[in-house]
Amino acid sequence: MTSATSHLVELGHFSAHLALVVALIQGLAPIAARYTREPRLASLSVNAAILVFVLTTIGAATLIHAFVTSDFSVLYVAQHSNTLLPIFYKVAALWGGHEGSLYLWVWILTLYSLVVAWYGRKRYPAHVPVILAVQGWLMVGFFGLILFLSNPFTRLFPAAADGSDLNPLLQDPGMVIHPPMLYLGYVGFSVPFAFAMTALLTKWDSELWVGLIRRWTLIAWGFLTTGILLGGWWAYYELGWGGYWAWDPVENASFMPWLLGTALVHSITVQDRRQMLHAWNIFLVISTFSLSLLGTFLVRSGVLSSVHAFAVDPGRGAYILAFMVIVLSTSFGIFMAKGRYQEARESITSLLSRESLFVWNNVVFTLACACVLLGTLYPLALDALSGDKITVGAPYFNTVMVPIFLFIVLLMGIGPLVPWRKANTERLRKKLRVPLVLGATAGVLMAVFMRGVHWTGPVAVGLVAFTLTVLVGDYLRAVRIRRVQVKENLWRSLTKTLLMNRRHYGGMIVHFGILVIAIGLVGSGLFRSETTVVMTRGDVVEVGGERLRLEGLRELRRDNYASLEAKLTLLDSGRSVYPEKRRYPSQEALMTESGIDSTPLRDVYTVLAESSDGVRWGVHVYVNPLVQFIWGGGAIILMGLTFSLSGRRRKREEPGV
Amino acid sequence: MSLNKYLRALMMLLCVFTLVSAYAEKVKEDPLDRQMLEIARELRCAVCQNQPISESNADLARDMREIIREQLMAGKSRADVLQYFVDRYGNYVLMNPPVAGPGRLLWLLPAMIAVILAAAAFFYLKHRQGRSLPPPPELSKQDHERVRRARERLDT
Repeated sequence: MTSATSHLVELGHFSAHLALVVALIQGLAPIAARYTREPRLASLSVNAAILVFVLTTIGAATLIHAFVTSDFSVLYVAQHSNTLLPIFYKVAALWGGHEGSLYLWVWILTLYSLVVAWYGRKRYPAHVPVILAVQGWLMVGFFGLILFLSNPFTRLFPAAADGSDLNPLLQDPGMVIHPPMLYLGYVGFSVPFAFAMTALLTKWDSELWVGLIRRWTLIAWGFLTTGILLGGWWAYYELGWGGYWAWDPVENASFMPWLLGTALVHSITVQDRRQMLHAWNIFLVISTFSLSLLGTFLVRSGVLSSVHAFAVDPGRGAYILAFMVIVLSTSFGIFMAKGRYQEARESITSLLSRESLFVWNNVVFTLACACVLLGTLYPLALDALSGDKITVGAPYFNTVMVPIFLFIVLLMGIGPLVPWRKANTERLRKKLRVPLVLGATAGVLMAVFMRGVHWTGPVAVGLVAFTLTVLVGDYLRAVRIRRVQVKENLWRSLTKTLLMNRRHYGGMIVHFGILVIAIGLVGSGLFRSETTVVMTRGDVVEVGGERLRLEGLRELRRDNYASLEAKLTLLDSGRSVYPEKRRYPSQEALMTESGIDSTPLRDVYTVLAESSDGVRWGVHVYVNPLVQFIWGGGAIILMGLTFSLSGRRRKREEPGV
Repeated sequence: MSLNKYLRALMMLLCVFTLVSAYAEKVKEDPLDRQMLEIARELRCAVCQNQPISESNADLARDMREIIREQLMAGKSRADVLQYFVDRYGNYVLMNPPVAGPGRLLWLLPAMIAVILAAAAFFYLKHRQGRSLPPPPELSKQDHERVRRARERLDT
């Protein structure tokens, strides 16, 4: 490489330092404006937000350039890339390790800050500087960590001859987009957080700012949902154990902010429509963002693999802990000092009303989040305090969480039927009759015909059928009411009903997606068949009603790995699956690549295991019913979310309904 | 055979969606294999990250699965096999934290949190309950009848 390209990284490094200074200005501008009584100073933070994004982008661009040109004089590049790595993964290797992930985090934060500045400078000019300042201080915290304790720009002298390669597990398209999506979600919650802090500090009218954060929150929630689903997808296709969710602490770390974020999305609606839950919403906003921070740090500090890994790099660990403590104590301190600046304007009319059900929704999601938090941190705390080692694994979480999920599905079914303010029990009973009968029938039929299935199966199927009927019935009822009022053809009524109330039906489509996922979870969770067999060429294995024949093996060579690929034919359909064992010479790493045959109703999932003699091969075969429903449900959720976001905010509440 | 498979798969979907179920045939599997996997699901692979030995491809996990199989063949019960591993690796090896001892709090707390949260929500709702609506207007008998008819037309 030429010295000119080497200098580029130094330019990036310098930009990152400059970004730290500018972020500091972004954080200080409104404070300075207040003390110098010079309000124009505050608008500096808008300029700072633009500049800090440009500087951070320059830093990121030079790092990506170093990866693409294989500049192994950069330590981070030498650790996470290799000349043979395909270019696609070279770019993605930016977030393949600790330092780069943190850099991606702060880069996304500057992006959000830029968008807030751009979008808000005309719409709410008085508050934008403070919002940006809150984000500015977060940037300062992250840049401090990046530049002084885990610096991706650190040089290596003399430069390495070749890099030690990206972890082969991460060399997968799913893993390339999973971290950015997850971080867009995590960091997205910094926007409502900054709004909430601003609201507290400036006594911003609650009804105004809560209406504004709905959109930001939904966007963050959408990205986080996508990120989590992609993580599951990646685990399923890449890790080769036949599942997609293991209640691993790393997964839990992203699931906790998702759960509270979901509670938040619902409780914002309550404040928007009924002017209550002000303080609770602020609490949720702060907690959700804090859990996003916790999630980042749990995964990135190494504390999860062992409590003691945290102490391997004491500087980094202490910094992260201190940063968390400062963010938590500052935000909750401000909340406690100023949290009651605005009281609820309305009260609950009836315990059986939509707002009351939303409160229960929040109870359940908070409980779910608390349980995941407990199960994730308890073994760490126990180990740190008493040295006792225990494992809190998937069976624990399934026992605790599945009943909570079932209750959530139940609430999802009742919710849409119960109107705001007060429900008429007579009418509610009428609306509940058909769904209840259908749900109960579904559950009972399943219990009768699939004897020996775990109790959660029939209950889940019954609840899903119940909720599905409610969703469809609710929609058809609205269509019928429209047809009574407006003369038009049926098709137009069906679409117009949806289009005229996008926020509501967007939400209902999301609920539908959740139900589709629930079906997928029941199918793949309770009806999985698996077997491990030793096969030679021509052998047939039968599992879960599928028959597979081992046709043979062949060796393949790729750019940065060598592979041994088996071919198994599914005798019933004639299609084949190709599980592989890959060897990455640069890391002496052996990877298994699963071979999967998917239909909407079931996946046949094969993994090639070891061979003792090169003739007889261990083969692990799973038949996972309905897994595709999970990915399909995810797509429906995103469609519903987009649909909901495309709707305009309703200016006034229509009477009745 | 193909037809049979699709038929059964279709029926499974029917059961979920249209509530007609006819999925009754049992899969043929070695009963010992199933028993072994069920126990393996409860044991942690000590060299992997948070994976039960049923899902791990590591050598240690394979050896442990083999031990389970041998012990089952020797007539040991599920509890015996689990105890065998706990004696050697400690509680750490159980995917499910023990109900007694250090894991007790873990099993109690979710229920306690649930009760506390539910009570808090209930008292909050009770506390905030009040009439924020003006009393409904008195309808004439004629209007009342009209509302009833309209509702009947819209509801089923």
